[in-house]
Amino acid sequence: MKRTLLNLKIALGSLGNFKLRTALATLGVFFGTFSLVVVGNLSDSLALKTEQEIANLGNNLIIVVSGQVRRHGPNTPLISRATNLTLGDAEAIANTLPATSRVAPSGFRAFPVRRGNTVLKAIAVNGVTPDFGEVRNFEIAAGSPITEEDDRLQRKVALIGRTTAEKLFGEENPVGKTILIWRVPCQIIGVMAEKGADVAGNDQDNQLFIPLKTFLRNFVNQENVNIIYVQAVSAEAIDPLRGEIEALLRVRHKIRKEMKDDFTVVDLKEVTALKSQAMGLISVLGRIAAAASFLIGALGILSIMILIVNERRVEIGIRRAVGSRKRDIILQFLMESSFISVSGGMIGMAAGFLMSLAIAKVLDYPVTISGLGLLVAFAASALSGIVAGIYPSFKATQIHPVDIIREI
Amino acid sequence: MTPLCRMEDVRKTFRMGDDAVEVLKGIDLEIVHGEFAAIMGTSGSGKSTLMNLIGCLDVPTSGRYLLAGREVLGLKDDDLSVLRNAHIGFVFQNFYLLPYATVLENVLLPTLYRENAMDGARERAVELLRLIGLEARMRFRPNRLSGGEQQRVAICRALMNDPELLLADEPTGQLDSKTAAEIMNLLAKMNERGKTVIVVTHDPAIAACAKRIIRIKDGVIVDEQAG
Ligand SMILES: Nc1ncnc2c1ncn2[C@@H]1O[C@H](COP(=O)(O)OP(=O)(O)OP(=O)(O)O)[C@@H](O)[C@H]1O
Ligand SMILES: [Mg+2]
Repeated sequence: MKRTLLNLKIALGSLGNFKLRTALATLGVFFGTFSLVVVGNLSDSLALKTEQEIANLGNNLIIVVSGQVRRHGPNTPLISRATNLTLGDAEAIANTLPATSRVAPSGFRAFPVRRGNTVLKAIAVNGVTPDFGEVRNFEIAAGSPITEEDDRLQRKVALIGRTTAEKLFGEENPVGKTILIWRVPCQIIGVMAEKGADVAGNDQDNQLFIPLKTFLRNFVNQENVNIIYVQAVSAEAIDPLRGEIEALLRVRHKIRKEMKDDFTVVDLKEVTALKSQAMGLISVLGRIAAAASFLIGALGILSIMILIVNERRVEIGIRRAVGSRKRDIILQFLMESSFISVSGGMIGMAAGFLMSLAIAKVLDYPVTISGLGLLVAFAASALSGIVAGIYPSFKATQIHPVDIIREI
Repeated sequence: MTPLCRMEDVRKTFRMGDDAVEVLKGIDLEIVHGEFAAIMGTSGSGKSTLMNLIGCLDVPTSGRYLLAGREVLGLKDDDLSVLRNAHIGFVFQNFYLLPYATVLENVLLPTLYRENAMDGARERAVELLRLIGLEARMRFRPNRLSGGEQQRVAICRALMNDPELLLADEPTGQLDSKTAAEIMNLLAKMNERGKTVIVVTHDPAIAACAKRIIRIKDGVIVDEQAG
């Protein structure tokens, strides 16, 4: 221990002669650990965020969409325009598939909305059943929900999202007020709790909810819905239930073997896949950058250690004369080189930590600390120092006291 | 009683490419415990080479060398290190103190490589520095000391592990005659306290301090006399 401290002090004294080089070499390791920590923390954040988003969509949720969903980019609409799903389909799922807990068919279309002189050109208006809130995790902040009776009697009532409410009412309480949706006056019976952006980044608080039957009869004048939300009884039931729903709907829609489905059962994991892919790419690039930084750092440390060993030939000779063995010399210089790299690595880890906090804040991701990422970063910095120290410390053992004495 | 050092027909040949130069050509030598010997000879006669062999910094090309009854030829590098650490203290012409360590740390250096840690090493080092009158400077870097002071610190370092044998190769080569006399007095004092001391020197005045003078010429011992 005493020896380590003394050796460290001597090493620092000697490093003082090569300040710039030491700083540059440390910088390599710094960036290496920096990127590893940032990438590690961010991919963990994203995984958590994805999990939260899926849970936010609804517990054990399966989404059935009419038509074929094609996806070209992160913002391609999840839902096609075709409307060949029926209320009958929804009822059949609810009544014949026991793994189903709740079913919420829904239609939607954008309509202009007006209150007094304020006109909002296109607000998403959703026709929903009473189960919708439960299935999709939508909660009401004030007022009352849409009831069976509202739906059966096609009442012209609406639940309003936070954003829409602010646009139309500002600070005023919207409950009880009447707004004009398209050309139908509807009374607002409740305000939705804040929900934030969905997986695709759309503001889920900028929309209106009205009873499904009101929507179908008074607004779109059709019997078909765009989407059926199905809640499975458990997480394990999701995958088998998806298959059962597909089979059931193919029969109901009279789709023959060789024909394609005219509906899509969305895999929620797929919905977030694009984002994960992008993040995956960033991770890979980050790790490549980290590897390159470590390499540069290690090369820098290698060159410094060669200089240091040269500068300290006499010291090494004297240490050998007073009885240090070759392995003591090797150990000493390996410790010195890993000390250089680990100090750079520590600073890099701290900076990477702060950076990932900042990024998580900007992207509105949950903050996670990847313990594994920190560990890998630390190990990588120590390792690059040790590897860089091997050759110079071997060189140091070839310095012989007799040669030192003869040199002067 | 076995002698501390015993050399029988020791030869040392250096190879420089294709040339082989025999520097020591059959040395027979015995040094007993408590001796104070001076090795003299002209430049290039092989004094330092002999000193390095005695100190186990190097091994003979042929012959026998027994240090404290133990055969040195054939020992591994690590074993030689352990041997030097425990039995031999070196003093060099150029002092060779570590520039980034304090005076005290320099004195402590040999304890870092001991087989068994030394209890009270620091106290012993301070005590040695007190003996040579440099206790007050123990936190200084060596470059703040004069040459004579540095050499005294180097002697403390050589004494730190309490070796039987103190080897000094031209210890006064860098010093003026007054300081040189002080250093020789210090070595003589150590000899009185029981250390075996061997000094290499050109200077007859220095050699006169020793009790025995070994003259070497062209790699052989030509003359021995009591000082
Ligand atoms: N490692 C070596 N390789 C080659 N030749 C050497 C080596 N060490 C010593 N010599 C040669 O051996 C001879 C004796 O050298 P040594 O250093 O022992 O002399 P010395 O008596 O100590 O001389 P000085 O009084 O100048 O110090 C010299 O010719 C020297 O060049
Ligand atoms: Mg010499």
